[in-house]
Amino acid sequence: MYTDNTDEALVARLKRNEPVALEILFNRHYKPLCHYCALFTKDFAVAEEIVADLFIKVWDNRHSSDILNVKGYLFLSVRNLSLNYLRKKKNLVDSMEDVTISQQQLQDLNTPFSVLSGRESDQRILQMIDRLPARQREVLLMSRIDAVDKHTIAQVLGISIRTVETTLYQALQQLRRQLKIS
Amino acid sequence: MEDRNMRLITAYFDKTINDDGLAELKEWLESSPDNQDIFSDTIKILSASKTYFAAPDQQANNWARIQAHIAATQGAAVQGEGNSDSTAEPQSKLKTEATAAHKLTAPVHAKRAQLKNWFAAAAVVLITSVSGLIGYPYFASKPVPVKEYAQFSNPNGSHSVITLPDSSIIHLGAGSSIRYEKSFTAAKREVYLEGEAFFDVKHQTKRPFIVNSGKIATVVLGTSFNVKAFRAKHRVAVTVKTGKVGIVSSLHGKSALISYLLPDQQLEINTKTGLVNSGKANAAAVSGWTENNFVYYNTSLKDIAESLERHYAVSFVFEEAETARIKLTAKFNNLPLSEATGNLAQLSGLYFSRNGNTITVSAHQQKRRKGMK
Repeated sequence: MYTDNTDEALVARLKRNEPVALEILFNRHYKPLCHYCALFTKDFAVAEEIVADLFIKVWDNRHSSDILNVKGYLFLSVRNLSLNYLRKKKNLVDSMEDVTISQQQLQDLNTPFSVLSGRESDQRILQMIDRLPARQREVLLMSRIDAVDKHTIAQVLGISIRTVETTLYQALQQLRRQLKIS
Repeated sequence: MEDRNMRLITAYFDKTINDDGLAELKEWLESSPDNQDIFSDTIKILSASKTYFAAPDQQANNWARIQAHIAATQGAAVQGEGNSDSTAEPQSKLKTEATAAHKLTAPVHAKRAQLKNWFAAAAVVLITSVSGLIGYPYFASKPVPVKEYAQFSNPNGSHSVITLPDSSIIHLGAGSSIRYEKSFTAAKREVYLEGEAFFDVKHQTKRPFIVNSGKIATVVLGTSFNVKAFRAKHRVAVTVKTGKVGIVSSLHGKSALISYLLPDQQLEINTKTGLVNSGKANAAAVSGWTENNFVYYNTSLKDIAESLERHYAVSFVFEEAETARIKLTAKFNNLPLSEATGNLAQLSGLYFSRNGNTITVSAHQQKRRKGMK
């Protein structure tokens, strides 16, 4: 039911107090939003909490706010909430980073041998990505999230599509050069 | 222009590249080996960056939390607006009833209002767990991450060349199709084949390349080999051109390594009986079809006809069933169909006549048959 409604139609239904519209929006955007959020928090559990809080906020403000572009709004909000979160916890060292990533890599691998060797280069590339200039890192990783296209990136970051592309290609070239040296 | 190439490579990786882009990319790749390095490094970076993301595992819990919040606040909304749009959802009706029960005693004090919200939330949590028991789909809608597959199919009469994200190359035969997970980033490089294909696999020691054809899997690290697996034939034939190939079968419910093959060895498995036949074969001849060269050694006319049917998109009709069993050895190097059938006619002493896309094979000349009617 309603699952083929556009985001905007669902927001209209929210105004008519239909929780099912929120659920569809939630299921539709939860995963990509969590991924985006995790770029900042580097902690997937925190990311999921922030995204869930955002949906609560969307429900509470359903009568007072007019959201024109739902997807852009959701991503931009997650970005702001993530940056707020980071500001609050800035004293803590981000120690989760390595843990979360390596755990994730353990999951889909079969033998300890392939864990040790197979993803080693991926791991190395991920570390290089984390050392990129912040904007390049964000654009590169954001462009790897399913359901996020260049238009969304441009909109959320407030830059032109052309700039999104150049930033992305710069990041790739930069990483490629580093990969060659190492 | 570096940006241009990066754009093509990312479009290629994201599977959003168009035909023109693909042609341009190919040309660029072929123009220098350095470009191929740039290509494979960039693909490596792109697929590594994809592993940054873990799958969220708190989705159901978080939705339950939001749900509780909605229920808690909706009580207030009901009071404020007089009447909320009651949806057809059975549990939202329950919710309204649950909150309505509290409305009767709804106090004005903020503290007690909070308490009421807490009750409403508790009521919803209860409903959640009950509907969980009866499996109400409203709550069971946690989406499982769906694997996206890329699929290529060839009709009879044409074959194609596919480059995988790991830059392995597949020559996909006529009347064949292949499918693989779009991102191609998993620990194993798996493809699913129906029909015939020649694989030139890029060597990656840590990521085995697996060709699944029915219950037979061909496992390699980096070699070139031909797999022929048409389901209707109940036969899978693997021929190795370079490197070493492992064949794994899961015919009787468990998977077992059948054998390793070395260059110019062929293994044929009957998937109905599980019988395995291995021997020597000329891999260059077996994979010759990728260049439109067909070699048949002591092959029945029936098998030759089936092969020609796929590659030339025609169909053969045998007037006399026994003629299909005649065995021939023939070699067609990029011949037009008429010449190929001409050769077969000379070798077998049979008559081949073409009518549209149907070729009739008979022991007698067609004209005489017509005259007889």
